[in-house]
Amino acid sequence: MNQPAGPPSSDPLLTGLLARITSHRPGADVQLITRAYQAAARWHQGQRRKSGDPYVTHPVAVASILAGQGADDQTLCAALLHDVVEDTPYTLAAMRKEFGAEITGLVAAVMALEHVPAERVAAACADSAAAIALAGDRRALMIKLADRLHNTRTIRYLPRAKQVDKSRQTLEVLVPLAHALGMNSLGAELESLAAATLRGRPGGTASGRLLAAAAVLLPPQERARWRAEWLAELDVLPGRRERIRFAVQITLGIGRLATTLYQPAAAARQAFGVVLAAAAAASGLVVGGWRAALALAATVLAVLAGVLWVLRSDDRTRRLAELIRAARGLR
Amino acid sequence: MKNRPVPPTPRMTLPTQLVLRVMLADPAAHYYGLQLIGTTGRPGGTIYPIMARLEQVGWVTSDWEDPAEHITEGRPRRRYYRFTDDGAERARDALAQAYRPSKQSRPGAGLPWPDLPGVPT
Repeated sequence: MNQPAGPPSSDPLLTGLLARITSHRPGADVQLITRAYQAAARWHQGQRRKSGDPYVTHPVAVASILAGQGADDQTLCAALLHDVVEDTPYTLAAMRKEFGAEITGLVAAVMALEHVPAERVAAACADSAAAIALAGDRRALMIKLADRLHNTRTIRYLPRAKQVDKSRQTLEVLVPLAHALGMNSLGAELESLAAATLRGRPGGTASGRLLAAAAVLLPPQERARWRAEWLAELDVLPGRRERIRFAVQITLGIGRLATTLYQPAAAARQAFGVVLAAAAAASGLVVGGWRAALALAATVLAVLAGVLWVLRSDDRTRRLAELIRAARGLR
Repeated sequence: MKNRPVPPTPRMTLPTQLVLRVMLADPAAHYYGLQLIGTTGRPGGTIYPIMARLEQVGWVTSDWEDPAEHITEGRPRRRYYRFTDDGAERARDALAQAYRPSKQSRPGAGLPWPDLPGVPT
C-alpha cells in the first residue's frame, strides 16, 4: 500500500472507525478493514463532499453506522469501498483481485440497487425475503440503507429541490425497506430526518428571510402570495450565490412593486408626503425658526419626489445606473 | 405629483416590452417568474413589478400550479402567468404603438431585441 499516512494509528479517521468496530465485535479483521480504508482514502483523495469534507469521510461514516449494527468484515469493507468504482478509475476487476469476490460482489450489488426502479424496491418491501431477492444479498441492502442514512444526515448541503426529492424517496422506499429488514432504529432515524426535511421551513435560509422581510413593504393582502411565489423560485435555484442574487435583486425592486400594488391609493401616498413635509416643517420650526422649517419641508418633498421619480420608471433607473457607471469610469 | 387614476395600459418601458415579446412568442402558454427572468435577462426586481402591473390592467392573470405537477417533479408550486382572453391582443397593439422608429434618441432604441422564434419584428 502506498498510502502516504504511515502506520494505521496515525490517521484519526481510521483509528476512530477501528475503535468503534472492535467495541461491537472484538474479533473483527482489523487488517482487512484497514486495507479497505486505505484503498478508499487513496482513490477518493482530492474529492470532496458537498459539505466540503474530504470524500472518504462518507464511506467511513457508512461503515461506522454498519459497525453499530454488528455488520461483518465483508460488509464493512464493501461499505468503505462502495463509491470507489462509481466515482474513480478503480474497477470491479481490480477490486476482485485486491479484496476477493465476496466484497466485490457486495459493492456490485449496492451499485446495481441504484438502477433498480423505485417502484420495484417499494413492491419488494412487503417482506424481507422479497427485498433480499431483489439485491441478491441482505448485506447489500444494509449498506444501501446506511449510505442513505449518512446522506440524509448531511442533506442540508444539497439544494432544496434535491432535498425534497431525496427525502420523499427515503420515506416512500427506504424507510419501509429498513423495517422489512428488521433495522428498526435505523429506519426510525431515516424517517424522522426525512420528514423533518420535508416539513422544513423553506424560508429558513438567509435569502428566504431577506425576501420575507422585503415582502413586509407590500400591501398586507398581497404579502403571502408574493412571498410564496418567491420562496418557491428560490428553492429551485441550485447555488447559494444564485439564491442570494435572486433575493437581493427582488429586494432592490421591492419599492417599485409596492408602488405598483399601492397604485390605486396614490391619493393616500400624496397625503403621506404632505404629512411628512408638514411634520418636518413643524420640527424645523421648533428647532430653528421658519427658515429651517421651510428648508426641511422642501428637502423632504424633493427627496420623496426623487425617490418616486426613480422608482416609477425602469428606463430612468437604468439611465441613473449608467450615469453612475460613467461617473465611476471618469475617475 | 398629480393624482392620476390607474391608466388602462401599463407604461411601455423597455423591460415591459421585453416581457410582452417573450410571452407573445407563445401567447397560449404559461410562464413563471424565474423563467421570465431567465429569458429576458432582467432581474427579479424588474420582472415582478411588471407582472403585477400587467395583472392590474387585466392583460395577464396568474394562478398557482396544479399540485399534482409540482409534487411529481419534487419542487414547490409555481405561480404561472398567462394572457387573459384579450390580453395578448392588447399587448400586441401596445407594442406596435410603442414602436416609434422616428425617435432614435429614445432610451433603449438601438438595443438589440432578443432573438425570439415566431415574433414579428
